[in-house]
Formats: sequence, C-alpha cells, structure tokens
Amino acid sequence: MQTDDLIARLSGGLEPVRSTEVSRTLGLGLAAGIAGSALLMAATIGIRHDIIYAMGGGAFWLKFLYTLAIAALGLKLVERIGRPGTDARLPLALLAVPVLVLAAMMAMQMMSADDATRHSLMMGHSARTCSMLIAGLALPLFAGLFWSLRQLAPTRLVQAGAAAGLLAGSTAATIYAFHCTESTATFIAIWYTAGIALTTLLGAGLGRWMLRW
Amino acid sequence: MIPQEAQYRDWMLAALAGDAAAYRSLLAGLTRHLRGYYARRLGPAAAEDVVQETLIAIHTRRATYDPQRPFTAWVYGIARYKLVDEYRRGKRAAAVPLDEAGDLFTADEAQAAIARRDVEKLLAKLPAAKRALVREIKLEGHSIADAAARTGMSEAAVKVTVHRALKSLGEELGDSHADG
Repeated sequence: MQTDDLIARLSGGLEPVRSTEVSRTLGLGLAAGIAGSALLMAATIGIRHDIIYAMGGGAFWLKFLYTLAIAALGLKLVERIGRPGTDARLPLALLAVPVLVLAAMMAMQMMSADDATRHSLMMGHSARTCSMLIAGLALPLFAGLFWSLRQLAPTRLVQAGAAAGLLAGSTAATIYAFHCTESTATFIAIWYTAGIALTTLLGAGLGRWMLRW
Repeated sequence: MIPQEAQYRDWMLAALAGDAAAYRSLLAGLTRHLRGYYARRLGPAAAEDVVQETLIAIHTRRATYDPQRPFTAWVYGIARYKLVDEYRRGKRAAAVPLDEAGDLFTADEAQAAIARRDVEKLLAKLPAAKRALVREIKLEGHSIADAAARTGMSEAAVKVTVHRALKSLGEELGDSHADG
C-alpha cells in the first residue's frame, strides 16, 4: 500500500481518544490481576484465621503500608514506562523512601536484640516460604499487567518488565499480608523485600520477550 | 526544543479530540521526517515499510501520548523503538546507531518547516472559504472533484475560485516585493 493511502485510511476513520485511556487499561489489568491473585490465595493457603484480631494491631498495618507504598510507586513507574518519551526517574528515586524507612526500623530492632532474638527476628517461622509465596501470588498480576503494557507503548522492554514485576510483587505482597502471621519490621524488611525483588527480576527477564509490540 | 514541537503538538491534541484534518496534516508531516530518518539508517528500499509500520504504531498507540510531555519526544520514542525492532528482526550484525530526538527532526526538515510557515502566513491573507479550498487542493493534494463534493460547489466554480485565490496571492507577493 502507498503511504499516502495509509495516511488517508488512518485519518479517515479517526475516533476521538479519551485522556483516561491509559489509566483505564492499567486499571483493568491490575484489577483482573488482584482478583486472580486473591482467588488463588483463598483457594490455596487461605487467609489467616485471626485476621479480624490482627487488623487491630500495628504489625499488620506496617506490612500493608510498606507494600502499598511500593505498589503505588510501581503503578506510577509502569504508567510512565508504558508511554514513549517520558522519564521515570522521580518514582524510581522515591522507591528508596519506604525501603530506607523499613531498613532503619530493622536496624533499630536488631541493635536492641540479643543474638538468639536476632535470629528469630530475621527468620520468623516462615522465612523459607514467604518470598516464594509472594512470587507465586504475583503470577496472575503478571498476566494482567503484561496484558495492559502490551496495549500501551513501552519502548524499553526490560525496564517495563521490571516495573510490572515490581508492581505485581508489591501488590501480591499486600494480598499475602492477609495470610502471613509474621509481625516484625525485620522480617518484612528482609523477606517481603526479597519477594518483591524476585518478581522485579522475573519481570525484567520476561519483559524483553513478552512485551514486544 | 525541537522547532516543530508546537505545531505538531497542536495537531496531535486536535487529532486526539477527533479532528481528522489535523491528524492528516500531522501524519503527512511526520512521514517526511520518518522517511529521512529510516532511509539514512536502513537504506531507502527498506525504509518505506518501516515508515508505514511506525505510522500504524503511532495510530494504534496514540492514547499513550501525555499532553504534559513534548510530542516530538513521544514520536521519537516510537520511531526509535521501531528502528531497534527492525535491527533485531533482521539480525543485523551492526549495532543500532546512537541517536537522539533531534535526528528525527533534522535541519533540512526545519527548513521545510519554515517554508511551510511562510505558506501559512500567505494563506492567512485569503478569506476562510478560499483558504480551505487552496489548502485542500494545492497543499494536501485532494482532487477538485473531492473539494466540489465537500463544499457543494460545482467543479468549475472550485477551479475558478482556486485560480483567482492563487492569482491574488501572486499579486500580494508582487506588492510586498515592490514594497521591499
């Protein structure tokens, strides 16, 4: 086809575009991912039995706040990276805030503990499974967010995949918090962060292949 | 800033609101830049396919343009992505050349943009109805029959109107030369 004909055809059937189109696409993928992930958890490991009681305590909200702060920045990152010609340095730099705050809380806990307590602070009772379960719960979110990103126009695929992985992991960790009974800043700082780091790496690896458009 | 930014951004915002004429002008303008950009890197023979692919990408992904950001950077991002994609698909041994947004909107294109602006200035002296006809037929390359159908004038009347408009512009130019 001649390029002039192509231009005529593209402009001929032009439809107006809503300015909220990108948010809508991301919202759909994220919502589907959250639903899938929540169902997956309900069907497998379940919600902790004392959830009503736990929600009255600070530890639950610390987990919640930490993963939700990362997820909010992750969403901003995905939105930026999904659009050509934008830069994502600000949300990327802001990620340091929740991580450093929790790391400081961990440092204070560790310094005031003796050796035996330190070990149990770090390992809790679910250290071996926590990160892997977060990564597992992130799989439906990966599917939803990759679907969204493929409708957008990511031009740096590895970064886009990593951002989607960060968002998938932090959202999955938020959901996982309804199952997990760990309650120390040290445990969350190590194992939740590790789970999110794992999904971020996974996303970077997958993005290069799965986000082409 | 890239010299074409303001004009292209205006066209893009109009296109996003559904203005097909602005969109056609935008795509026609971008095609010239894209052709040069890809021809310099892939050779003229391979360029045209990638130009078309990029136009389609611009079209299908137009919702991802954020009006808070420069439009030329958005287009360049897509153009560059399609270039990298072409290199990757062709398994070309050569590394993708380094470039930046300015390379898509190069100086010779800037000259053309200045020439276009002069034309626009001249056209502005015509009454709106005549201006639309001249633009349609002489700049955008529509047929007289198209223009007649759109305006409801006869083809002969369209021809005469355009002819007179051009003549009056010629006189206008002659005047300004006499003044200078």
